[in-house]
Amino acid sequence: MRIPILKLHNYLLISIQTEIDDQTAIKFQEDLLAKIHKTGAIGVVIDLTSVDIIDSFIAKVLGDVVSMSDLMGARVVLTGIQPAVAMTLIDLGIHLQNVPTALDLEQGLVKLHQELGG
Amino acid sequence: MDENLKELIINNSDSIVDNWMDEVGRIKAGNYTASISDELYENTNREFVNVIFTSIQNQGSSKVVEEFSEKIINLGWPLSYITDGLQIFRRVTIDFLLAQADQVDSNHFSIVLTSVDEWIEPLIRQLVNEYSGSWENILSLQRVALQELSAPLIPVMERITVMPLIGTIDTDRAKLIMENLLEGTIKHNSEVVLIDITGVPVVDTMVAHHIIQAAEAVRLIGSTCILVGIRPEIAQTIVNIGIDLSKFLTRSTLKKGFTKALEITEREVVDLHAKNQGIEDIMHSLKGE
Repeated sequence: MRIPILKLHNYLLISIQTEIDDQTAIKFQEDLLAKIHKTGAIGVVIDLTSVDIIDSFIAKVLGDVVSMSDLMGARVVLTGIQPAVAMTLIDLGIHLQNVPTALDLEQGLVKLHQELGG
Repeated sequence: MDENLKELIINNSDSIVDNWMDEVGRIKAGNYTASISDELYENTNREFVNVIFTSIQNQGSSKVVEEFSEKIINLGWPLSYITDGLQIFRRVTIDFLLAQADQVDSNHFSIVLTSVDEWIEPLIRQLVNEYSGSWENILSLQRVALQELSAPLIPVMERITVMPLIGTIDTDRAKLIMENLLEGTIKHNSEVVLIDITGVPVVDTMVAHHIIQAAEAVRLIGSTCILVGIRPEIAQTIVNIGIDLSKFLTRSTLKKGFTKALEITEREVVDLHAKNQGIEDIMHSLKGE
């Protein structure tokens, strides 16, 4: 099961719609970085609206993906994290301190746009 | 034998009632019912004793008892009125029955005790149940009311939401606050959420921990949290106990926090100068004359 990565001008859009297992997460990390390299994207939005469960490993992978993409010159915004998911993460002590977030896809794109200076 | 006893007291209800009224009247002075007028007290007593007799006469006529207890509860009379009354009734009845008997041996004694108990017990049980039922009812209503009040969320304007917190915060409430906060943020699509702790009397490490967690969670779902209403003493406590709030936006008052929220959402409040303008116009026109 691979997670589709869509290209939109300079941005990459990812909507995660299934429960992610560890394998998928690692695969996704590789795919995304390869895609950033290939397309030269400067911004990435990962939408988690339909994700009900995030465990500590997935959270770590997501945090890593953000740092890695940053290294490759692409800003990442996580959007649509569900209240229950947010609460679980906080309870687990995962704060994703340096990960930008936004309420939904739309605001995520706006945020990216602002951060990348128009 | 049981039936005989029953008949005996029903036939002699008048004298039992008189004795009972005397006894109950005696306990009136100097206790909970002292403020109740004599007339009302006597009427209620009479009704009470009627209820007792009706209940004894046809075992299990709970309707009358229910109505009576409802009335007493509505009047706000204490439970001890009922229990005292029934205890006195038990004593009076036993005295009466023993006095009526030709010869009192232990056998007769125990029969009298058992049958009087059998009459009174269900009554006590039912009345106490009614009472505690009404208390539990009130308690659950109040709990719901308290819960409704405990974490309100006010969408003051587009993209800005305020949560005013009043009273102490414990773990249960913190959980509720977090849930309401996150759900509300998503529901109202708010970019900025202000948590107002003006009404929180004490901020200790636990409360601070909960607030920090809530703020972190709000950030995770993609919104910004501003902590407002930090009074001087709260600021001192926070620093003294070594809580690090430097990662969060904080403001002393809701007003300042709101200004900051407007700034974040790239808006501002503009005075409409119409009123002053009007006065200036008038001044000008006066000068012109």
